[in-house]
Amino acid sequence: MITGKGITKTFRQRGSMLGAREVPALRGVDFSMEKGGAVSFIGESGCGKTTLGRILAGLESYDSGEIAIDGVPMSSLSHRQRQSHFRRIQLIHQDPYSALNPARTIHQTLDAPLTLRAKQTGRSRSWIDERAEELLGLVGLDPGYVLSRYPHQLSGGMRQRVVIARALTVDPDMLVADEATSMIDVSLRLGILALLKDLRDRLGVSVLFITHDVATARYIGLDGELYVIYRGQVVERGPVETVIADPVHPYTQSLLSAIPVLHGLEVPGAERVTPTEAIDPNRKDTGCLFAPRCPFRTDRCEAETPVLGHDGGTVQEHACFHPRRRSVVATPAVQA
Amino acid sequence: MPVTDKRAPGVRISDLSVVYRTGAGELPAVRGVDLELVPGTITGVVGESGSGKSTLALSMLNAVQPPGRIRSGSVDIDGLGDVVTLGGEDLRKTRGRHVGYVFQAAQNSLNPLKTIGKQLLDLGRSHEVDDLPGLVKEARSLLDRMGLDGARVLDSYQHELSGGMRQRVGIMLALVLNAHVVVLDEPTTALDMITQATILRIIREVHEERGLTTLVITHDLGVVAEIADRLAVMYGGRLVEQGPTREVLGAPRHPYTRGLLQAIPRLVGDIDEARALPGRPPTLGTIPPDGCVFRERCDVRMDVCETGEPPVLTIGPRIVACHTAAGEGEQKETVTTGPTRGEEQA
Ligand SMILES: Nc1ncnc2c1ncn2[C@@H]1O[C@H](COP(=O)(O)OP(=O)(O)OP(=O)(O)O)[C@@H](O)[C@H]1O
Ligand SMILES: Nc1ncnc2c1ncn2[C@@H]1O[C@H](COP(=O)(O)OP(=O)(O)OP(=O)(O)O)[C@@H](O)[C@H]1O
Ligand code: SF4
Ligand code: SF4
Ligand SMILES: [Mg+2]
Ligand SMILES: [Mg+2]
Repeated sequence: MITGKGITKTFRQRGSMLGAREVPALRGVDFSMEKGGAVSFIGESGCGKTTLGRILAGLESYDSGEIAIDGVPMSSLSHRQRQSHFRRIQLIHQDPYSALNPARTIHQTLDAPLTLRAKQTGRSRSWIDERAEELLGLVGLDPGYVLSRYPHQLSGGMRQRVVIARALTVDPDMLVADEATSMIDVSLRLGILALLKDLRDRLGVSVLFITHDVATARYIGLDGELYVIYRGQVVERGPVETVIADPVHPYTQSLLSAIPVLHGLEVPGAERVTPTEAIDPNRKDTGCLFAPRCPFRTDRCEAETPVLGHDGGTVQEHACFHPRRRSVVATPAVQA
Repeated sequence: MPVTDKRAPGVRISDLSVVYRTGAGELPAVRGVDLELVPGTITGVVGESGSGKSTLALSMLNAVQPPGRIRSGSVDIDGLGDVVTLGGEDLRKTRGRHVGYVFQAAQNSLNPLKTIGKQLLDLGRSHEVDDLPGLVKEARSLLDRMGLDGARVLDSYQHELSGGMRQRVGIMLALVLNAHVVVLDEPTTALDMITQATILRIIREVHEERGLTTLVITHDLGVVAEIADRLAVMYGGRLVEQGPTREVLGAPRHPYTRGLLQAIPRLVGDIDEARALPGRPPTLGTIPPDGCVFRERCDVRMDVCETGEPPVLTIGPRIVACHTAAGEGEQKETVTTGPTRGEEQA
């Protein structure tokens, strides 16, 4: 189990045209995931999804807050001890092509980390090849076909499976999949999603799934949780089906309203929300961060800051003074 | 369907084949494509990576670059004639002036060293625009129209603009010379959902206001579903199905279209209904030279699909290229015969 409490992160950009500039990427985020669980982050570009994912994977520092793995606060450990915890969390890169060395066969790609693993666990040379084949089988690839090939000889979906197989060489507890399916052809996308779900079910691996494509979050498990992030803050959080079918935060509703409707197959939601175009979205940090773009803001929203909670008796948590259900998601058209 | 606009030209792509020279000889990336863009409509071409969409878009401007070439066919635009036969000055003037375009990854193709305004003036000069202040005014109003501060954007360098803003600059540059045929290759890729929805709305509005004939190329079925009047599905260099968007999505006829729709992750409904297509999309080297391009992944394949080119059938407003549809509609007379044909177009 991994938890995060009150995580903040501000990037300081120097040498930009406007002089030194502070970019608050995360503004006090709480997070928790059980072993074998699934959590998805959604939100606009630049909202802090990748930053949070990297922090939870130990790849990025944070300014304040605390991360604990299986109850052990990371701040209590030495750098070395911390590294051994974080090694159990593996990041899967969005672009399966640049994530693999083009000059190495798949065999070579898997051999290096497995050799290290064999050394750590006192296993023999023969275990390495067996394990490579086993892992490829696990991700649904035919070792006989794949092992001797180079990345460019494989399809996007196959490459992404290789990247996942490589992440599995260290027996991770958690995979952080950052836009892991967005560069993959639609016809292959479901296969990768099913694989992630399968790894949860069979190996008990937790999956942190970062995506622009909200619908994909359902396919790594309906038991998962969805976090909606806006400008470094979680604005709505709860069971994936609840947040998608019954969102109460206007920002979540805007995101879901923006998803293209498959006209002919679907009818658009009756109450789609279009955010107003913010003149300067970074204008002020008091009150609700979404207020400059929120069509439903009131004076209170400008003056006070909403915090996550179940206000109004909602199943999910939300940070809005005026939570209201709106039907924004498209529903299947009745077939004639 | 929007009202046909008198200004909007029609476009007829006929039997278009485009090949790339590779180590294994010339291989077709687009093969025997017939597509009509009805004046005043938005046509969406959807297909997976490598299916030939960008190659098709480039052909609309006769802009396929070596090692590629248009091997056969024509692209006939009202008032212009066949652009495949145009060359030199005529062709250069056509691009931008008559056919506006935003190439794939246009958001990364602006000149980083010049302001947007300077690049606009360069464009105007290269097309011998006399009234440059008028051009700037037009550009500004287009940008304003797209929800940007036009004056500020023209004074900006590329790195000062977000991805969504650059995408809009690209669309402005495609429209500013008053072209009435517009080609947009992946206009919203790499944008997030809310920005994408904004850009799609703007494309639709500008299309209607200006009376354009628009071709939108995308790998995302959702994008065409949202804005296109007609939809064409591309696979392995061929158009396998065409028709009014709602009809095709509501009742797909080609097994690939059906498979593609079934593979889309959906927001509601039973997740077990969604299914990945088996196999993988073909690449230039693995596209079968004859028979149906989709047969390796098709769950209703028949013996005839191995060798027989699928018949191109017109069924009302729809066109399907599949053996299973045989007998349902009218067969087109100009069934294409692949690589042996049309060597006259060097
Ligand atoms: N190394 C860095 N230096 C300065 N600013 C950064 C750095 N990394 C991220 N940022 C900023 O922090 C914010 C959050 O970025 P992050 O990459 O986490 O967003 P994201 O939600 O993953 O976006 P996307 O969907 O585009 O991947 C952005 O404003 C970004 O510009
Ligand atoms: N310059 C080139 N030389 C050789 N082959 C090429 C060249 N350009 C494109 N191809 C090949 O032609 C086929 C069609 O490419 P095209 O770029 O038209 O596809 P696309 O549908 O636009 O794909 P994407 O969705 O990735 O943009 C691909 O198999 C591609 O590898
Ligand atoms: S708190 Fe107010 S401004 Fe913020 S999302 Fe809710 S209604 Fe909108
Ligand atoms: S022609 Fe044959 S293989 Fe091709 S899509 Fe139709 S049934 Fe399938
Ligand atoms: Mg990111
Ligand atoms: Mg392309």
